Amino acid sequence: MSGGADHADTIPVRVVAIEEVTPQIRRFTLEPIAGGELPAFSGGSHIIVVMRGAQRVYRNPYSLMSSPHDLGNYQISVLRVDPSRGGSAFMHEQVRVGSEIEIAHPVNLFSLAKLARKHLLLAGGIGITPFMAQLHDLRAGNVPYELHYATRSPEYGAYCELLSGNEPTAVSLYHDSNKHFIDIEGLLGDQPLGTHVYVCGPAGMITRVLDTAHALGWPDSHVHYEKFAAPPTGDAFDATLLRSGIDVHVQPDQSLLEAIEAAGVDAPYLCRGGVCGFCRTEVVEVDGELIHNDHFLSDQEKASGKVIMPCVSRARCTKLVLDL
Amino acid sequence: MLITGIRSKPVYAPLQPDLAGRYHVMVGHGVGAAPLARLLGELKAAAPAALARTRVWYITDPAASQSSAEVFHAANVAEVRIFDAIDPLLADLTNALDEALMGTRLYVAGPESFMGLIMRIAHGFNLAGDEVRAEECGTMARRVHCIHCRATIEGVRTNIVECSCHRWLVVRDHYSRRLAAYMGVMVDAEAPGERPDIKEVFL
Repeated sequence: MSGGADHADTIPVRVVAIEEVTPQIRRFTLEPIAGGELPAFSGGSHIIVVMRGAQRVYRNPYSLMSSPHDLGNYQISVLRVDPSRGGSAFMHEQVRVGSEIEIAHPVNLFSLAKLARKHLLLAGGIGITPFMAQLHDLRAGNVPYELHYATRSPEYGAYCELLSGNEPTAVSLYHDSNKHFIDIEGLLGDQPLGTHVYVCGPAGMITRVLDTAHALGWPDSHVHYEKFAAPPTGDAFDATLLRSGIDVHVQPDQSLLEAIEAAGVDAPYLCRGGVCGFCRTEVVEVDGELIHNDHFLSDQEKASGKVIMPCVSRARCTKLVLDL
Repeated sequence: MLITGIRSKPVYAPLQPDLAGRYHVMVGHGVGAAPLARLLGELKAAAPAALARTRVWYITDPAASQSSAEVFHAANVAEVRIFDAIDPLLADLTNALDEALMGTRLYVAGPESFMGLIMRIAHGFNLAGDEVRAEECGTMARRVHCIHCRATIEGVRTNIVECSCHRWLVVRDHYSRRLAAYMGVMVDAEAPGERPDIKEVFL
């Protein structure tokens, strides 16, 4: 397997439609420039969109929300983050119908459990997107499911209409503006054996679901979450790549992985969100503190100071040597 | 001989309460009473309130006294279900798990062949490794599945066993969770009548 999605692995696509779904969310429809079909994927997959900005290259992950049964195009939704580190602003401001961009092959780190007896899907805001693709499979299958989808208000509810048209019994909508919230404890406390819960949404919602599930005795094997947070910002620092023999400078709003890539080193990655473990890198030497922002390494590994996940983690030090 | 070194052979460990669980289902057979009694004691010491969310299913050992069932009744658990045969227990447990909620932990103690049958039910409910604990005790006699005629032979203690289809089978360590049985493969297919000595190995 090659190191994640390097340039040779990307697929050139053309933006054929852009819809404004809410004031901050746009849906992009992407077709392969070469024609034909895009690679097959399963619900819950994401792609990395490569954005070549004037100053630097952004590579942001977005969930595929279109049907896995229609490979003529992919659809993604981009929430405009304010302030944007650059990626979402680029998609909203620079990308037009007809723009040509590159994407990496789909990767699924949020797939449905094949043997589940029931699926409980909890979405908050833009976190609805991976479930949109999974619903195509769930509707075709025999396994019971429930989708609970919370948004700030009806007008911020991307795809509410799309969802409420189908299976009113399986889909429940909630709006903060109506003081109508998902009863996480009530739901998780009353699910049949063999249920899997999936949560995608704001960090606070994910934490609440994970904590509640744990308190109610849910085993880790039945709890799934996906969090696409932008890499945390911080102080600038420098890193030495031992095998490549180069030094890189990491800007405050840049991730270590982005700085490594900007220096022309093809480092491995898959999720760019600190969950998959693919970019795990050995730390040869560090004279300060590693700031671990990932959800992959164990507490023990984080404390060891011997390993780092460059996609989201940083350092506060004067010397950092990586085995890259 | 091709019966060892196969990784599908299940691995067991002494039972300990999983305090992260909210409901506890304990299932035992015969000599499995002792590990379950010990487990109940540990659960009571660590989290006494959990006993009210604990249920026990048990098959009495006809050779033993009734005392083990009394131990369970005395433990003040929510429910004790006593059976004297496997099939009714399996049906009753299946119905109970169908009503059970997420947060349930399953504990099994007894002979390996019995545990295999319980595990098969657990897998049917998509219970994962972090929801099930099993402690083997009692006979290691195996349930053997004849891969030729698909009959199941209960209580096999020997390395070689004759199936109802009159084939002589070597009992492998290859275990099927779906069938809850070890695979039995014709031992003298290449050289009819040439069979190793028969020995009692699964005691």
